[in-house]
Amino acid sequence: MKLFTYLSELLGRKVYFENKQYAGKVCDISMRLNEAVFPMAEYFIIQKGVFKKQYAKIYLNVIKRVGYRIKLNIDRSKMEYSKDSIRPEFSLCFDILDQQVVDMNDQKVVRVNDVHLMMVDRQLYLAHVDVGLRGLIRRLEWTGFVDFIVKLFAPEAKYLKQEELISWKNTHVLTLGRTKNVIRSDIVRNRLAKIPAAELADIMEDLDVFDKLSLFKTFSVDLQRKVFADMAIQEKEELVDHLGDREAGDLLENIPADEATDLLHNLPKEKTKQLMRFMHSKTSKKLRMLLGYAQDTAGGLMTTEYLYLGADALVKDAIQKIKDNVDYPGNLFHIYIVDEKHALKGITSLRHFINKDPSRPLMEACYPSDVFVRLDDGMEEVALLLEKYKFSSIPVLDEDGILQGAITSDDVMEELITLTWKKYKDQI
Amino acid sequence: MDQLFAKIRNSKAARHVFLFLAVMGPGIITANVDNDAGGIATYSMAGAHFGYTLLWSLIPITIALIIVQEMCARMAVATGKGLADLIRENYGVKVTFYMMLTLFFVNLSNAMAEFAGIAVSLEIFHISKFISVPISAFFVWMLVVKGTYKSVEKIFLFACLFYVAYVISGFIAKPDWSDVLKQTVTPSFNWTLDYTVMLVGLVGTTIAPWMQFYLQSSIVEKGVTIEEYRHLRIDVVAGCIIAPIIAFFIVVACAATMFHAGITIESAQDAALALKPLAGNYASWLFAFGLFNASIFAASVLPLSTAYSICEGLGWDAGVDKRFEEAPQFFWLYAAMIIIGAGVVLLPNFPLFKVMYFSQVGNGVLLPFILIYMLRLINNKDIMGEFVNSKGLNIIAWVTVFIIITLTLIMVGFTVFLPGKAL
Repeated sequence: MKLFTYLSELLGRKVYFENKQYAGKVCDISMRLNEAVFPMAEYFIIQKGVFKKQYAKIYLNVIKRVGYRIKLNIDRSKMEYSKDSIRPEFSLCFDILDQQVVDMNDQKVVRVNDVHLMMVDRQLYLAHVDVGLRGLIRRLEWTGFVDFIVKLFAPEAKYLKQEELISWKNTHVLTLGRTKNVIRSDIVRNRLAKIPAAELADIMEDLDVFDKLSLFKTFSVDLQRKVFADMAIQEKEELVDHLGDREAGDLLENIPADEATDLLHNLPKEKTKQLMRFMHSKTSKKLRMLLGYAQDTAGGLMTTEYLYLGADALVKDAIQKIKDNVDYPGNLFHIYIVDEKHALKGITSLRHFINKDPSRPLMEACYPSDVFVRLDDGMEEVALLLEKYKFSSIPVLDEDGILQGAITSDDVMEELITLTWKKYKDQI
Repeated sequence: MDQLFAKIRNSKAARHVFLFLAVMGPGIITANVDNDAGGIATYSMAGAHFGYTLLWSLIPITIALIIVQEMCARMAVATGKGLADLIRENYGVKVTFYMMLTLFFVNLSNAMAEFAGIAVSLEIFHISKFISVPISAFFVWMLVVKGTYKSVEKIFLFACLFYVAYVISGFIAKPDWSDVLKQTVTPSFNWTLDYTVMLVGLVGTTIAPWMQFYLQSSIVEKGVTIEEYRHLRIDVVAGCIIAPIIAFFIVVACAATMFHAGITIESAQDAALALKPLAGNYASWLFAFGLFNASIFAASVLPLSTAYSICEGLGWDAGVDKRFEEAPQFFWLYAAMIIIGAGVVLLPNFPLFKVMYFSQVGNGVLLPFILIYMLRLINNKDIMGEFVNSKGLNIIAWVTVFIIITLTLIMVGFTVFLPGKAL
């Protein structure tokens, strides 16, 4: 047998016993469900009879030779036929052929036209899926005709040489129906964990909302949070819209407060209220406060997640604070020093105190001047200050000098990019 | 006052109304597009040649339409996939490919008929087809290329309102309402050949293959969830009732005037012209305007639906929001439908009649396959889960489908053996 073969070429091939008696024709191949990168074939399913169909399994070890005909090394007496069709847990015809898969490299959803199999050591492996035009024409059994025509008119055509194969390790099978609502019992699910969150978010973008949902639900809470953060705002809205209120509430609680605010801003008031019901009162209180400010003012931009310490804190406390909060979604490098009324007393950053004596008070390692904005300051002002002082984050105070939140440069950046885009779009 | 609003907002009924408004669209649009140029011609002829005697058939047609469309909608919601997707995934690439090939040619000839409908309806207003057809084609192209699903849906829903033109012309024609009512509820069988051909034609024009693909895809694209299904069903059923009502008024308008005057017509523009001396200018204009609206509406939907279904089934990227390089097949198919559809109308002596003849046969061959696949898919627990047909519904559905298929095959027979009569 050739090293590589297509499933479409194996299907329908006639199978004979050792004594040349007809056994049936190949109608499907069952694959092993294991963690291997390339799944291995377990048995062929053959079928015979027209009106009274009979089915049988042929394990690979009874196959003597795969050629134009498939020869077995057993006799009819060793074969058991059943009247019911055989439906393996994971088979090429049911689960791969003609189904949609995610192409992880190009990040799009494609339909499988054919399956490329690899024969090594008398074992058959699933190597690639064919998503190209050649595969489609091969399935239709028009290859000879179409090739002839194309060669006649365009002998150099890309079509003749180009096979569009995607390695199995770079694909992900999508769920069959929404009713199941989870990605199929997947030998490939583990692979997802190895893909960076940003790329997963890109992949998600190409899926329709139900596939998106079922994919998203397979993620761990941590991964959900990361992927969600990387999604475009419309995508987020769509997802929140389709998640249950409880799930959406849980999710919003786990993402930075400023992002949650942005999202809630765009949702209908009713929906917002409903979601809040599923959050801890502390979180929802915070979000409600943020929602009160216009989106392009400091109050709307800021997050209420920032690190702060009391005025009597030492440098080592600050270092400990950062260590304790490595997983913190907000800005990690700035620490604000506040008094008992939460009024801002000083700003410091990791860069500033990391080399200072750990036992000295943190106040001694503060920036010389207090740079801050007020709640109703506009976004431009925030941007200017951030640029002027080359800070990555800036505190937001109310009229009484009480620290309300902090704005990081990426929040401003995001808003500015949106604005610039809008202007750019209007121009063209 | 505020309290009143709050009360309305919180009331259960209002909630249902809002939910309905949110999912409304696919069902009503699909059913209305069904009253396209070809449909209007068939209904006009039914009225002009047989008076009110065919009106009763609209009731069973409505029921059949509801049964078929509801199954499509349910499949869309339960699987989140289009019909072409499901057929490909469950019945393989060969069936899908040949089905799509037929669908392309059938829909292409329908698109020609729509552009022809635009041309003739505007000629009644003395607008040359060399102006109206290119502009309409351009409009159709821009509508979809520049639009999003949401904006296009709004325009389509708006277009549905103009079908009222036929209701008004039905009233202007001053029919004898008691006679109309009586004939609507009492089936009259008249087994002459002409009558049977017309009856079969009515069924054939009302339940068409492209509708199943279009309805299912547009629900999927709209992203209707399982929770919203109850409201979607109202939309689908409403559409399936509204469309035959429009057909009813077309039949009535033509019956009350042309049938009584003994005028025979061959097409929808004949009907519009014949109305002028019989029911006055306004009735004629309304009729022509209705034809224009229906034609351009269907001319917008058909190419889009065809390109979507084919790309779906063959696994090519599709979508109006994609760039050309991302979805070349989609845009080629879409452009081909519009350019060929509009182009042939401008050719002198183009045998549109012959094209329609093949389209009729293609439709008839395609529909049985689609309906049987649909029934098998919807009874597949692996795909539909708890949304499979109930036993009772299944019997009704199989019987309906059986009748539709029989009638469709009879129509194919008529078209092939009696080409003069069946169109």
